[in-house]
Amino acid sequence: MAASESAPVNGSFDFEGRNVPCMQGDTIASALYRAEVRTFSRSFKYHRRRGLYCLTGDCPNCLMTVNGEPAVRTCMTPAAGARHVARGTGWPSAEHDVLSILWHLRALMPVGFYYKSMIRPRWLFPIAERVIRRIAGLGTAPHGPSDSAKECMHHHTDVVVIGGGVAGLSAAIAAAQRGERVMLVEEGIVGERIAPGPLRDRIAAQRETLSRDGSAMILERATAIGIFEGPLVPVVGEDLLHLVHPQRIVVATGAVERHAVFPGNDLPGVWLGRGVSRLVGVHGLTPGRAIVVVANTAEGLEHLELLRQHASRQRACKVVAALVPRALAEGVAPGVDVIVDGTVVEALGSGALRAVLIETGGSRRTLPCDTLVLSLGYEPRDSLLRHAVLEPVCGAGDVVLAGCSAAEAEESGRRTADPDHAPEAAEPTGAFLSEPSGAEGFVCLCEDVAVKEFEHAWDEGYRSTELLKRYSTVTMGSCQGALCHAHLKAFVRQRSPGSWVGQPTTARPPARPLRLEDLAAGARVPVEYHTVLHNRHIARGAEMDWAGAWKRPSNYGDVEQEYWAVRKNVSVMDISTLGKYRVAGPDAALLLERIYPCRVNDIKPWRSRYTLLLNEAGYLFDDGMVCKLGDGSFYVTFTSSGGDAAESWLREWADEWKLRVHIANVTAARSAINVAGPRARELLARLTQDSLDAEAVPYGGLREICVSGVECLTLRVGFVGELSYELHHASRQSEMLWDALLEAGRAFDIRPHGLDALKLLRLEKGHILIGQDTDFDTTPAKVGLDFAVKMDKPEFVGRTALQRLASLPRERSLVPMTFAGPRAPEEGAQLFAGGIHVGNVTSSRFSPTLGCGIALGWIRHPTGALPTSVSARDTVGDCEGEVTKGPFYDPKGERLRA
Amino acid sequence: MALKVTCPNCGPRQYTEFWFGGELLPHTAPGADELAADFERVWLRTNRAGVQRERWFHHAGCRRWVETERDTLTNEFHGRE
Repeated sequence: MAASESAPVNGSFDFEGRNVPCMQGDTIASALYRAEVRTFSRSFKYHRRRGLYCLTGDCPNCLMTVNGEPAVRTCMTPAAGARHVARGTGWPSAEHDVLSILWHLRALMPVGFYYKSMIRPRWLFPIAERVIRRIAGLGTAPHGPSDSAKECMHHHTDVVVIGGGVAGLSAAIAAAQRGERVMLVEEGIVGERIAPGPLRDRIAAQRETLSRDGSAMILERATAIGIFEGPLVPVVGEDLLHLVHPQRIVVATGAVERHAVFPGNDLPGVWLGRGVSRLVGVHGLTPGRAIVVVANTAEGLEHLELLRQHASRQRACKVVAALVPRALAEGVAPGVDVIVDGTVVEALGSGALRAVLIETGGSRRTLPCDTLVLSLGYEPRDSLLRHAVLEPVCGAGDVVLAGCSAAEAEESGRRTADPDHAPEAAEPTGAFLSEPSGAEGFVCLCEDVAVKEFEHAWDEGYRSTELLKRYSTVTMGSCQGALCHAHLKAFVRQRSPGSWVGQPTTARPPARPLRLEDLAAGARVPVEYHTVLHNRHIARGAEMDWAGAWKRPSNYGDVEQEYWAVRKNVSVMDISTLGKYRVAGPDAALLLERIYPCRVNDIKPWRSRYTLLLNEAGYLFDDGMVCKLGDGSFYVTFTSSGGDAAESWLREWADEWKLRVHIANVTAARSAINVAGPRARELLARLTQDSLDAEAVPYGGLREICVSGVECLTLRVGFVGELSYELHHASRQSEMLWDALLEAGRAFDIRPHGLDALKLLRLEKGHILIGQDTDFDTTPAKVGLDFAVKMDKPEFVGRTALQRLASLPRERSLVPMTFAGPRAPEEGAQLFAGGIHVGNVTSSRFSPTLGCGIALGWIRHPTGALPTSVSARDTVGDCEGEVTKGPFYDPKGERLRA
Repeated sequence: MALKVTCPNCGPRQYTEFWFGGELLPHTAPGADELAADFERVWLRTNRAGVQRERWFHHAGCRRWVETERDTLTNEFHGRE
């Protein structure tokens, strides 16, 4: 049975410079205990020694730094993965901590002292804060990126059962037998914390039944951290964050044995019964030489019997006394000194338990001992149940029937298989043990809150559970109230019986501790869109950057060369990221006419028109082209990142007006390459038989042509201000077309251009970029695009709003500016006129053609008149500029109409 | 929070698959020349505490608008599909 007697040494880890061997089945805590470590941590505020106490992951005593990660519950963490373990608390060390002097200074540090004492002088606070943060706390958070990247996984199940004890297993089995999909979540390994005996055998048999069925999924070493609306149960696993979407939830998280409050209750050597039972029964370790057991539950007698048997084998250890109520006295085996109806008054000792002072029948008595085992009742681990407000949740076993027998727990689990089963109410528990004498007893081990601090806070007026919690920080530590919440309620109820002020405090996630990085699971891999030509760009050495969700080439190494290729020669650009849609049907023209601010009805077949997209408030949210292919057949484009929103907008109005129209998103199915530059026609002529002259494909026209065997819908548009042809084609032929263009382009010294060159080219033409040059409340008039809005149309989306806005003064405008100096101001530079701040620069570049800086920027002009000269201030300095009229380049647009 | 929205085309799905389209309003202004009425329609919301008709766009699914009735106090969806 006992692991340490038979199991071989199974690896080791470094503990503060010592090598600690591990046995099969060891946790870090049990390996350390075997290596004679008794001080597991120093307490949060007073730096008191703390030893093992619960061994069920409910108390803060065994928190250590493991492999650089602070505040790890070593009693729940297998020793196998540990390399470096250290106590994160105490100075200079947890073993010899000079800060334990703070306990003797406790009178100077009453509850909430830091709220009052560190206000003046003000300059002291940052220093005091730094010092206090070093003294208090649970270790140092690691810096830098984490080496593990946890992913998210979604699960859809009928039932999720949280807790792999008797109740949870029987609930899972019952649900699986009904044919439901079941997931069972267990924080450790099913059964691992139970000492050998009938219960452990029963659990093993149940687990066998559940896994034999095969339909249930059993997640071990996985912790449910909350129950959210949906319902959603996030479960932190070893490598994954499981997001479980169940139809209903069974909470079978059990109960923790009641934490008792008396002076000295935190000394190493004071144990909860289940903790010592695991230490002895599972790990085969001996808790101490002289053991006193305090029990008022049947389970307490089982712990006593386990200890007695262990003591009879280990001569060095003895159960000296048992404090039990009269009803249980019969159950104590002979040879143990039975003390009936006694209570613990105080645990004596300094740094370790030396004796316990008990009171029985009015007299007091001191029992020398080094181990005190407490089995005094149960507090349900019900925080998950309290998270759930409207979710279909029911509890099973100890969490609702605290202290129930294994058979009752099993029956209660079975009952939950019935979906109509009403949740069982948690039994009211919680007497406040030894309260009158216990002023120095710790209610909260996490934050070192003693009874007298409750009293203090109460006297200061914090007279409800919620206020007392916030002022004293009780229940706010790493155990999240597992041990102390019942005492908090009991204290308030004693002081103010029958009042609402004794309500349980609100339970909030996480129910169990988790790493911050677990919250970011799945966030490390953003959705990334690639065009078909992505690898072609990489092969050409393109520098790729984000553009919305897309990765696009910023440049191919030389922005200026790319610029001149467009202005003087010929260039290509991958513009497949544009939102591309087919709109067709009997009402297609009607939809577009009623939705767009431009006129659609008079677009001739095989012609296109630039259009703005306005919302109902009259504000610009996207722009694009509308191309007429025939009656009731249109091809429309939007910006690269605006397509999705534009689609939802089109569909919204098509639905609203109940129009007969099909809208097909062909963004991925169709790719597009822009061939631009004065020699674009010459280049394409080498690859096509079709005519491309101004008569066949005029500016604003479109045509189906075949380029190097690829059918292309060709649009003559002019975003960059040169002769250009957008070739829209089937995505699967995109690489073929790209290669053919670049191959034929060799004779022209062709080079592709990226976004950097594009932004300069379009700025020279004064074209705005939606989102960069516009705000959420940009009307067409403010950016000089009124020409694209036909107010004489009877209807379009945003028309009424624009009518209303027209009666208001326009106080801001986006204006073109030139900067004569050797540089352009940075984008975002602040603009001043006559020394007064008037706005900011949204786009700027140095124009090689004009030989000066050019920019677009917002200028406030409440009086109506624009300033003629402005000064731009950026991180480098000031630039003097002039407000001009756009476009900067080829204002008459002769080049693009060539 | 993990709201589930029932899409008539796709079934119950996580709310993250949807864009919230807001309270469902009458789209056509009562008299197109009523500027004040248009202002109210564009800018003012009922902010109802209780069951409201609203729209969701199922962008990660069928890419259609879905009309629902939801209790804004409890986040419960009601029968309408």
